[in-house]
Formats: sequence, C-alpha cells, structure tokens
Amino acid sequence: MNIKKIWVLCSFAGLVLQSCDQLDLSPTDSIDATKAFRNLEDVNMGVLGAYAPMASTLIEVSAIVSDETMLPTENTVSNTAAHRWIYDSSAGSVTSAFYEYYVTIDRANLVLEAIPNIPTNASTQNLMDQYKGELLALRAYCHFELLRAYASSYEPDGMGVPYMKKHEAIYPARPTVQSNFDDINADLKAAKELIPDGFSDNIRITKTAVAAIQARVALYEKKWDDAITCASEVIDEEPLAPKNDFGKIWTDESESEVVWKLARVAGDSRIGAAFFRETGGIVLYAPAFKLIDAYGSTTQRTDDVRFSSYIKHDPARGAGGTKSAYLVNKYATGIVPNAPGLTSVKLFRTGEMYLIRAEATLEKDNGTAGITAANKDLSDLRMARLYNYVHVPVSDKQSLLNAIYNERFKELAFEGHRFFDLKRRNLPVERRAEDAINTSGALKLESTAAQYCFPIPAAEMKVNKNMDQNPHYGDQ
Amino acid sequence: MILIMRTDNDAYARKRIQHPLGNVGGVSLKTIFLMKLILFLTVVFSFSAFADVSAQKVNLRVQHTSFKSVVQQVQRQTGYSFIIKDQLFKQAKPVTLDIQNRDVLDVLPLLFEGQPFGYTVNGKIVSATALMGKTSSVTDTRPTAVLVDQQSIQGRVVNEHGEPLIGATITVLDGNGKSSGIIATTANDGTFTINANSGDKLMVSYIAYFTQTVSVGQERPLTIVLKEDDNLIEQVVVTGYTDYLRGKSASAASQVNAKDINGVPMSSLDQILQGKVPGMSVVSSSGQPGQSASVVIRGIGSVNGTTTPLYVMDGIPIEGGYFQTINQEDIETVNVLKDASAKALYGSRGSNGVIVITTKKGKKGRLSVNYSSQYGFSTLTQPTFEMMDARERLRFEEEVGLETGRDIGPGWRLSPKNPDYATQSTAWQQNAGHVLDSLRNVNTDWRDLFFQNGRFMEQQLSLSGGNDNVQTYNALSLWNEDGIVKETGLNRYSLRSNTNINYGKFTAGINLNLGYSDSKFTYNEGGTGVGSPMASVYYALPYEYPYTADGAFHATDEDMPFYDTREGSRGIDVLYGTSDKTEQFKTILGLNMAYEIMDGLKVTTRAGIDFRNSSDQVFINPLSYIGQNQSGKKGSFGEGYRRNFNLVSTSGITYNKTIEKHEFEVSGFFEYLQNNYRAFSYRGYGLDDRLPENPNAITVSGDFLPSLSGSRSSSALMSYMGIGRYTYNNKYTATASYRYDGASLSSVPTKNRWHGFYSFGAAWDAKQEDFLKENDFIPVLRLRASYGQTASPIGSAFVHLPLFTVGTTYGGQQAIRPSNLVNPDYDWEYVNEFNVGFDLSLFNTQRIKLVADWYNKETINMFLDQTPSATAGGGSGGTIPLSTGKMGNKGIEFSLSGDIIQNEDFNWNIGINGAYNQNKILRVSDVTDELPDGDTRIIKVGLPYGTYYGPQWAGVDPENGDALYYNRDGSITNVYNSEEQSVPLSSNMYPKFTGGISTSARWKDLTLSALFSFVSDVQRWNNIDFYIETERYMTSNQSKRMLYDRWKKPGDEAILQRIDIPRNYTSKDIQDASFMRLRNLQLNYSIPTAWFGFGKSFFKTANIYVQGQNLLTWTTWRGLDPENNRQYGRFEYPNARKYTAGINVNF
Repeated sequence: MNIKKIWVLCSFAGLVLQSCDQLDLSPTDSIDATKAFRNLEDVNMGVLGAYAPMASTLIEVSAIVSDETMLPTENTVSNTAAHRWIYDSSAGSVTSAFYEYYVTIDRANLVLEAIPNIPTNASTQNLMDQYKGELLALRAYCHFELLRAYASSYEPDGMGVPYMKKHEAIYPARPTVQSNFDDINADLKAAKELIPDGFSDNIRITKTAVAAIQARVALYEKKWDDAITCASEVIDEEPLAPKNDFGKIWTDESESEVVWKLARVAGDSRIGAAFFRETGGIVLYAPAFKLIDAYGSTTQRTDDVRFSSYIKHDPARGAGGTKSAYLVNKYATGIVPNAPGLTSVKLFRTGEMYLIRAEATLEKDNGTAGITAANKDLSDLRMARLYNYVHVPVSDKQSLLNAIYNERFKELAFEGHRFFDLKRRNLPVERRAEDAINTSGALKLESTAAQYCFPIPAAEMKVNKNMDQNPHYGDQ
Repeated sequence: MILIMRTDNDAYARKRIQHPLGNVGGVSLKTIFLMKLILFLTVVFSFSAFADVSAQKVNLRVQHTSFKSVVQQVQRQTGYSFIIKDQLFKQAKPVTLDIQNRDVLDVLPLLFEGQPFGYTVNGKIVSATALMGKTSSVTDTRPTAVLVDQQSIQGRVVNEHGEPLIGATITVLDGNGKSSGIIATTANDGTFTINANSGDKLMVSYIAYFTQTVSVGQERPLTIVLKEDDNLIEQVVVTGYTDYLRGKSASAASQVNAKDINGVPMSSLDQILQGKVPGMSVVSSSGQPGQSASVVIRGIGSVNGTTTPLYVMDGIPIEGGYFQTINQEDIETVNVLKDASAKALYGSRGSNGVIVITTKKGKKGRLSVNYSSQYGFSTLTQPTFEMMDARERLRFEEEVGLETGRDIGPGWRLSPKNPDYATQSTAWQQNAGHVLDSLRNVNTDWRDLFFQNGRFMEQQLSLSGGNDNVQTYNALSLWNEDGIVKETGLNRYSLRSNTNINYGKFTAGINLNLGYSDSKFTYNEGGTGVGSPMASVYYALPYEYPYTADGAFHATDEDMPFYDTREGSRGIDVLYGTSDKTEQFKTILGLNMAYEIMDGLKVTTRAGIDFRNSSDQVFINPLSYIGQNQSGKKGSFGEGYRRNFNLVSTSGITYNKTIEKHEFEVSGFFEYLQNNYRAFSYRGYGLDDRLPENPNAITVSGDFLPSLSGSRSSSALMSYMGIGRYTYNNKYTATASYRYDGASLSSVPTKNRWHGFYSFGAAWDAKQEDFLKENDFIPVLRLRASYGQTASPIGSAFVHLPLFTVGTTYGGQQAIRPSNLVNPDYDWEYVNEFNVGFDLSLFNTQRIKLVADWYNKETINMFLDQTPSATAGGGSGGTIPLSTGKMGNKGIEFSLSGDIIQNEDFNWNIGINGAYNQNKILRVSDVTDELPDGDTRIIKVGLPYGTYYGPQWAGVDPENGDALYYNRDGSITNVYNSEEQSVPLSSNMYPKFTGGISTSARWKDLTLSALFSFVSDVQRWNNIDFYIETERYMTSNQSKRMLYDRWKKPGDEAILQRIDIPRNYTSKDIQDASFMRLRNLQLNYSIPTAWFGFGKSFFKTANIYVQGQNLLTWTTWRGLDPENNRQYGRFEYPNARKYTAGINVNF
C-alpha cells in the first residue's frame, strides 16, 4: 500500500470515527430548566418573575362595568362593549384577566416546585421560607381574584375556577366555590406561617398583606370572625394615613397605609391609561355622576380628602359641551417624570380593612354591641378622611349596612371593588340616566343577566371540554 | 476583456508551451490567469502524483455473454465510455472471451471481432460505427482524425452552448444518402477533418444529442451545432449518494438543465426554476432583486415545520433562501427529487423534497473560454386597480361632503356646493376657485416618484479545460441590478472554481463558490403606515407634490400649510432619508475523494462547508423628517451580523458486482452535519449628520441608550445509512434504503433522538422486454413505484425543553420567567409517501415524451401549535407545540413534450408540465378538530390547509347602500359580527394546480423560445382594498371604484357600500390569485462564425439574443402582483418586467 492509499484510508477513518458527544448541544440563547433555579438568588428572581405579570386589568374592568364610571361623548376610540354590558366570551376586555392570573400562578408553581431541590442552611432558611410564603400567598390571591371575576356566584355551591397547585398542562373542570375557598385559605395559612415578621417590603406580600388578603377572602366567604380577626391584624400593624398624606398615596409620594401594591417603574404599563388617553387627550371613562354626588355637597367634597385625590374637576375642559369636565384623578400622576398615568397599583389599604371589619362585625352580631362596633369603625374611617366630621350613629342594621356599602363606594372607587361588592349581595348594577347617555340604554344590569358574571373565555371553552361556561352565555 | 482576447490570440497562434504537469493537450500558455484562480488548489493537491499514468487493464472471462453486458464490464473496469446505439446492440453477437490483465486497447479488437459494426477510439471514448464493408479504424488519444487526405474538409462539432463535443461521429453520405463508409470522430477541441466532395452530406451523431445531417457547402471551416436530446441526458438520476440509470431507478425525479437556467436574468436560482418542474411550486416573496422564492414540492407538507426543500450543491447541503451570491451560469443541472425512494436518502431532512444542484465541471480538451454579457432594464407592471387622479379626487371629496357633510379635503372645503361657501367673502370665493383649478393641474402620478426603470447588467467569464487527469472549470461573474423601486438593487460578484482529478483508481474533486452580494432594500416593505414608501405611492393625494415651486421639500405641513395630507411626501422622505442594506459573503467549499480498493469496491469521502456572513445596516438620516422622530430626534444607525456555518462530512463505501444477469450495488455511509449560527446587532441614536452611515456618528447617552441584541445556536445530525439496488437482466430493479438519524437536542428530546427512515422502490424497464425491444414506435417505457418514510426538521430549536429567560423585571429588578410551554413528548414530523409513475416515449426519435407520476403523501405527528387551557399559564395566545396532527397531500404530475416539426432548417417543440395537488387536514389533536391560523384562516379537519375563514359578503343593499353579510344560518344582515358570522371559505392560499408551458422554434440560426408559468386554484387576501376603499382612510387617496362604483342613491346596484358604512373583512377580500405569466420570451441568433473572418476558429460559437421576463400576466387578481407567497397582498414590492439583450461567445 503506497502513501496515497494510506492517506485516503486515514482521512476516511478519521471522518467516520466521530464522537457521539457531538449531539449533546445545549441551548445557548435561553436558560434551560436545570440552570433556572440553582440558589437563593435565583429563587428571588423567580419570585419577582411571578409578580411581574400582575396587571391592573380587573381593577380597570370593574370600574368600567360598574356604576363608578360613565362613558363620555368624546370617547369614540374605545371598544365599549364592556361598559354597555354586551360582552360575550370572545370579548378580550372581560376575559383577558382569566389568562393573566394563571400566568402568575404557573410561575409561582414552577418556583415552588424548584425550591425543595435547593440546598439551604440555618442562615438562609428564613429567606427561603419567605419566598415560599410569598409564592403561596400570591397563588392564593390570584385564584381569589379569578374567583371574584369568574365564579358563577360566591355561594359555596357556585362554580369556581380551577385551582392550580402545580405546573402542568391539563384541561381541568371547575370545582365548587367552597373548594376554592378551602384551597385559598390553606395556601394563605401556610404562607402566613412562613413569611417572617420583619419582612416589610410592600411591593411584595408581607405577613400583614397575607392578613389583609385573608380578611377580604373571609368577607366574601362570609366567615365573619376570620374577617374581623384578620382586618384587626392589619389595622394594628398599619394605621390609617393622616389626612395630609392621603393624597400623596396616589402619587406614590407616601407609603402610608399601603399594605401591598404592585410596583410600577418607567416603561411599565400605566393604569391611568385605562381612563385617559394621552394621544389626542381623550377621557375614555369619566367618574360617574352617581359617584361624584355620593361625596355630597360642594362643601362636603372639599372636606373629603378622597374627592380631590380621586376626581379632578376641570370646568374649562367641559365648557365646550363635548368634553368631560370630570376626570379620574386617582392614577393620573406618579413619581416617574414624563409618564402620565404611571403609578403603582394599590391592592390593599387599611381603609378597606375598617370597612371589612365594620361589615363583618355587623353581620356577626346585629345586636347593640355589633352595631356600636360597626359604627365606630365607620366613624374612625370617616374621621381620617373628612375634615369637620361629626359622626351620627346609625342604629338600624340595614341602614348601617347601606352606609358601609356607600362608604365602600367612595373609599374604594376605581380600586376594583364596586362590581364585586354588588355581586356579593346579588345587587343589580344601576346607572343614572345622566351616566348612561352613551350606553345605548345600558342602565341596569340585573343579577340574572349573563353579563353579571364575566364569561369564561371562548378560546378556553373551545379547547377545554371539561370547562363549564357561566350561566346564560350562549343563550341568545 | 481585451486582455483575454489578446491571450487568446496567442493561443490561436498556437504558441503552446509544455505544461509542467505533462501533456495537457490544448491547455495553453494563457494559463497565467487560470493559474491564479486555481493556485490554492495546487496547495491541496500534489500534481506531480499524476506523472505515472497507469495503463487500463482488463480482466474478462465470459461465455456466450451478451455483447452489451460485456461492454458494461469493460466500461466499469476501465472507465472508458462506449457510444453504441441500441439498434447496434440488437444486432450484436454474443461474446466469448478469456482475458487476463491486458491493456484495453488490445482487448477492443477482440471484443469487436465478428461484430456487424466497427469502432473508433478517441481518448477514453469508444464509438461504434457501421461497418459498411470497411475495416475498423483506431485513433490514438491525440487529436487526429481518420482518413485524412489533401482535399479534406475541416470542421467543428459543438453543442448549443458552443462547447466542443469530443468523439462525435461524422459519416460522409453520398448523393443517395447512403454511407460512403468514410468516418471521422472529433478531437478534444471538437474539430474534425474528413474528405468529402462538394455535394456530399455529412451525418453527425453523438450520444445524447440529436443526429444532424448537413450539406457540404462552401463555408470553411464548417461548424455543426448539435442539439441535446434532453430525454437521453436525463438518463441518470442523481441523488447525491447514488447515480442510477433511469431505467434502474424507482425515483420520481425531474431534471432541469443548464440551457434552461443559464442566461435567465433573475438573480435567485429558485426563482429561475418556476414552471420548469412538475409538482414544484415556486412563488416569489417579493420583487426585490435577489429575494428568494417560496418553493414547495408536492403540496405543503407541514404547518409549523419546515416546508422548503433541502438544497444540496455538489454534495454539500446549502441553506435555502440564500441564493443571492450563487451564479446561475455555473449550474449544469438541477435534479429535483420528489418521491420517498430518493428523499429517504436524506432521512430526517428530506420530507419536503431535495434539490440536487450540480455545477459545471471542466471537460477534457483544450481550454475553452466563454464570455457572456447582457444588459437590460426593468419596468413596473400595472396593477389592476387604479387610484383617482386630481380631478377625480376633488370630485370625490365634494361628493363625500355632499353626502355626509364630512370634510376630507379642499374639494369640499372650497366647493361652491358647501353650505359655508355662501357665507364667505367674494375674494375668498374667487381664491377658492383658483386653488381648485391649480390643484386639478398638479395631478402627480406618484409611481413616477417612487418607481424607476431599473438598469441591469451581467458579465460572466469562464475558463475550462483539462487533460486526462485534471479538469478544471473557473468562472467569474459580475451582476448589477437596480430595482424598480428607487434606491433598491443588487450587486453580485461571484467566483466558481471546480477542479477534478482522476488518477487511476483515485479520483478527487474540489468545488469552490465564493460570492459577495450587496442588496439595497426599501424601508418597511408591506407596511401600511403613513411613510412606508410602498404604501405612500397609493395613499398620496394626486394634487400633492413633494416640492414647492422653489424646489424646497416639505415632509409635513408644519412650516407651510398645504391642502393635501403630505402622505406622499412623507413616503419620499422615508425613501431618501433611510437606507436598508445587506451585504452577504458566502463560501461553499466541498472536497470529495474516491478510491477504488478493488474491482467494484470503492471508498468515498466528502467534506464541505457552507459559510455565510450577512451584515445588515439600517440607517435613518438625522436630517430627514423620520430621523427627527427617532428616539433622540437625530436619526438612528443600526448594524447587525448574522453568521451561519454548516459543516458536512460524508464517508462511505460502495460495492457493485454483476454476476451473469444479476447486478448488485450496495453502499454504506456515515454522515455528520453541524450547524452553527450566531448573530449580533446594535442600534444607536442621536447621529451626528457629518458622519453619515457610520457607527461613530452615534451618541451614547442615558436618555437614548443604544440597544444590543444577539443570538447563537448550534445543532448537529449524525447518520448511518445503507443503500442497496438489485437489477435482474437490466429489466427489473428493486431498491431499498435505510438511514438512521440521530439529532441533537435542538430538534427532539433525547428519548426520541434516534430514528430510522427507510424506503423501498421497484422499477421495470419494460423496453428491455422481448415484446418491446424491437418496437420502434415505443423507444422508452419505464414503470416505477416507491414507498418510504422521511421527516422534516423542526422549525424552531429547543421547543421541547422547558426554557427560562431573564428578560423580565419587577419594580426595576431583574427577574426570571419561563419562556415557553413545553411538550416533553415532542417527536419528529414524519412523512410517508407512496409514488407510482411511468416514462413513455413514442416514435423512434422520441418525438413525444410523457412522464407521469401519482403520489399519496401523508404527514403524521405533524407539528401544530395548540392553544392549551389558560390554566397552563401560557397567557392569552400562548401555545404548546404538539406533534399530533395529520395531513394528506395527494396528486398527479406530468410532463409532456413533443417535437411538432423536425427538419433541418425548422424545428418546433412544445412542452407542458403540470401538477394537481389535493391537500387535506386529517387530524388536529386530542382536544380539538380546528385551530385558528392567523387572523383570517383556519386549520380544520377535512379542509385543506390554508383555508380562509371569515364572514360571507352578501353585497350592497340597493335600497339604502348598507353592507350586507351572511349569518351562519344563511340569513342576511347589515350587522357585522366576525365571531358569529365567520365560516370556512372555499378559498385557499396554496395553489392546487401549477405548471409551465415551454416552447421553442428554431429556423436556421434563429431560435425563438417562450416559457409560460401558471398557478391556478389559489386565492389570497387582498388587503390593499381595505386601505384604498374604506371610509376610515378616506383622507388618503382611494381607488377609482370609490368614486364610480359606490352606492349613491336607492336602486344603485353598487360594488361598494354607502360611503359612511365601515368596511369590514369579509369573503370579498379573498380574491382569486390564479395567473398565467409569460415568464420568459427569448429570441436568439447564433452567428455563423465564418462572419468574423478570423479564420477557422477564433470564436467557436457566438450568440446574440434579446429576451423579456414577465412580459404578460393574465389574472383577475386586483392587487399588485398575484405572484407572492404571503397570505395577503399588501403594498409588497411587485415583480418587475424585464428586458435584456446579451451576447454569449465561446473562444
């Protein structure tokens, strides 16, 4: 064999004998699952990743479908189906939240599943417990938000929402509302035990925030004792804001009484854009006259720190007749310069806790003691909000309940409660004629109407054969 | 060019020098140029190794064996080629021989002894010659001819490209048309010398060419051009791993030859193939020069996977979609492999078909220099819609004002019919009249401002030649093309160098393609926004002009009031204020070697790379209006690099053996493929206008930080394969192949990594049967069938792995999130395909040829993106990649060609090919039978993929002008509700019937040829109508139909609804996009070389021609260009009409 042959055969052999390792080429542009959560820092990033998609969608939708807002003539640019109660299962405005919360839930589950594989020691256990607690509470909160929006009713036998306890792609059916409450409570209970006392970052879920969530859940579940206990816990920990600070809460200059809020920085989505469009300067939804009038006479409005914080009156703007003189002011300015409408999203405040406790106390005991205690909470709250306030006790249970509801209307305007508060008591949504001038007759939404519950998204119904739609959708 | 001519003159003077490598025949001293080209090749090979040429030895032991089979054995042992007509084989007598290790030249007399014909030898070609009572003659390998005498006629035989035909047989016919027995063969340069009398005729024949008879006239020297017999050329099916004779191949494969590829003035190879291969649909993606087409073979086979075929050039897989730097002049053949038996050789990459490209190789003989050049220009084709002119527009504005009170322009604002008019002063009214008059006279045709007649130029020079051991082909080309849109175009420079060496049992080849291209694109093609140049052409008002009387340009009305909307001017601003360029460097390098260890046993190895580096640049001039709207208000500059590197290495062993009537061939291969990709880009703002198009102009500041991005990935494929063929008695063939592919993690989960792909085929060469052998009416009849499984690559990498990204923040802090939803059971997408077909030729010259195939193809495990339950956490629109779908494609394809007129001075042939494909979705997934496919289409079981979905248009109500829609129950309503009214429309974006018609007529030296291509049974979404026939965008210019064909009063049977009724997407937007196009029309004149008077052979051949591309299009499509692969037509870059004139000379 001459040199040539050897050369040919060697090169041939060299090419054949390639190593099989050549096929083990890992992804380079993304982090694969084995490297996603290696240590405590990664877990923290994962927790932040779970908070990241939390949006203000339900707050906005609740404002638009309830009697808090009205559709001004100048808004020719929005899809107004939600406001006019003509939405169906393919209306993104009322169905997108269904997807959003499950994103957070899934991310929380992914991190929760990774945590047991990460070694901890005595010095890091505390932090790891905190992360785990936050994730459990976040998971519970998201399911509760889904329940508020999409449950067929809040009664124990109502159709709830699938409760996802792990990361998986399945096609689940709807459990009962009671089952949802049980899961939510279990997660919150576990969370509360895990989150350390000293942790006080209010853009994340602290122990106090868990108590606040528990209080709200208990109110919906009509567990009055729990509601009172948990609301008290929050009230003790986080007192009401002084009158001078109240307005600063909404511009993010004060953290007073803010138990939990979603952080918003430059570049994030702007909650204020739901009410006012910068391009063209259009008021999309204005405060309803029903709400404005709830704050009473001009003097009373001046005395109420909430009025000017929530509602802006611009008579010059309204002079032409086609533009709204009233604007939602609650989310108009934040601390980021040149970013109108960008403010953090306040999810829990102490003010709500007073109202929860008042309502729960009254429901638990409609005797004198209960009425007195409820009156006190209502009075304390009003004292913190109104100058020159003198409380006149209400002794009749129903009247007091109405007063509490009316106070919720004012105190929690545009914070995502009104629609669900009505739904809690099966009350219709009623608009005044002057608030319904552009709604093609959407004056009253009865609790028997399909739209009284938000629909399960059409896309979900299409792929998930186990899913049941809320009542009356598809009837027409 | 002059330099070359001078050197060729030297050559003509026959100042030859001895080549250092020994006798290199006609290769002469002009090689200085050539040497530079191939210098690097000499580094690789030791040429001195070829000094000792071993003799070709023959071993034979045959008993009464058919002459043909003995010839085949000699052919295999020696590498000599035999040119023997079938008729002669029929007359041949069986052979009995016992020869050990004897030189071939000694064996030939023994072999031909007693046969009723003689033979000639030229080089390594043995041609059989009719005996006619004369003895056989033998010529040696040097260029001499037989039977030379003093009154000889000198001539040359060339093919249509002017390339010399070596070993062609020239027979002198006497006055009665009978052979005089005087025979000659051509030498290495195609020349021959023969003695004949004036008035005699010469019959010239050559394998795979039509035989031609010429009269001996006065012209000296005589050049005889032979025409290729395509059917014979296609006799070998080239798959990249095997070369089987057509009669012994079960594959459905089509071949396109150089003459149909070279000289076409289109800069992308895939586009050139349109209408030429039955079953292959080629639809351009844009009229931008150099843009690739969408190529689909036998119906679209995948929804989310790859649908483009695999391209293999000289054995090296190359990227589809990057043909900008590949010069079509260098291409010899393109073989399109369509059925499983051929595709399965490519296993997991083959399911969409394989396009095997073979480039030109050097041929033995003296150096051949070919120069071709063409010049031309391209123009805009007219769309079928027309925009309003100034007069019409002003009238339209007035009508809209009258009907609705809406003020959409000066036509109403200044109109005397406007109620406000009467309230104005007389001076105002007079001025209004003057303004309207002057606006009417502006009447700008915006196409003149955005489009141009693009210039085109191509130059190509090639040198080829070689001796017995080394053959080389080298070519340089230059291509300059302006687009029809201003500021667009393509420049290309390419170099091709192919060298083959054969040294006894060792053969090797090195193929190199180096290319550089430089493309200029238009900004935001297909965009609908104001300022997208391609949309602005139509949005612009006809009474707008971008420049004022003093020549100043105004992109907006900020500093000067205008009556128009400045939408055209914004487009002009973008056209000149931005640039979008891509430079591409591409190298395709392949090296192959083969060594014959022993008789019939050969090892081969091949290695190659396909390397591409694209650098993209987007510049927005800080001085332009669009530049002032960038972040930082001073333009932007971005640059990016994309590098793709493919490496392939294939090694194998092939053994073939013939025992009596049994012929075996088996091969085993090992192959490794690797792909590496990396990309990087940045974009910066705040440019200093003194440094145009330069990164140093960028300001880096906290307010507008430059953005950075990048990516890198790699994948690999390892394969073992076995291929076998068995042929019995040249009649029956069975083939089988198996390929075991292992893919890297980017494609499939490790558990599904290895998979085997197989095929079986059977072929029957019926012509070899006794009952057909003697039949002159049917010269070819072959039948074939095959079945096999292939797969297609996964569209995106690593989709089966749970992946995370840090691309998210909360409260300004970096966070991590999952980036995909995962299907851990992801598997390959398989395609099972069955094919039957036949080849049939009729009449003894094969005047009519028919090739037909029927196939049934089923894609299983098809990739689909399924929307999961919201609870999976994918968010709205999130999807899980599944491999659960099933889709069928079945169809027939045929090509029919015929020579209608065949005589010496006039030839006319016509060919038609077509394919009908039927696609059907057979399964979606466990949870659903339908999925939305974009906004306007649906994937639904029972319907073809690509079916449009939307509400049915019910016309315009003649009573009140309302737009009417069908509800699902068939009732008609004027309320539009897409959700409730949408139905699958019987319209589909993928054509069912495609094909081409080619015809060529030759009269003496003039040839007229034409190619038509057609696409039928296809619909597309015309989204342009939505923008130019809508009340929503009425302030922009609208189509003439908005003026003339809309509902105006009760009783109008109008096409368009009342002016104030919103326009919605309905079935009327899905329009028939079938078309037939005169793709190419060419008139060629072959100049008789004697005209040049340079003596006998300064030019071997010279051709001049004129041709036109896309001259005519027949269609009812209302958009810009029916030929576009997008699902919608929307302000795309239309294909141009092109006219060129060129020359092609061979020295």
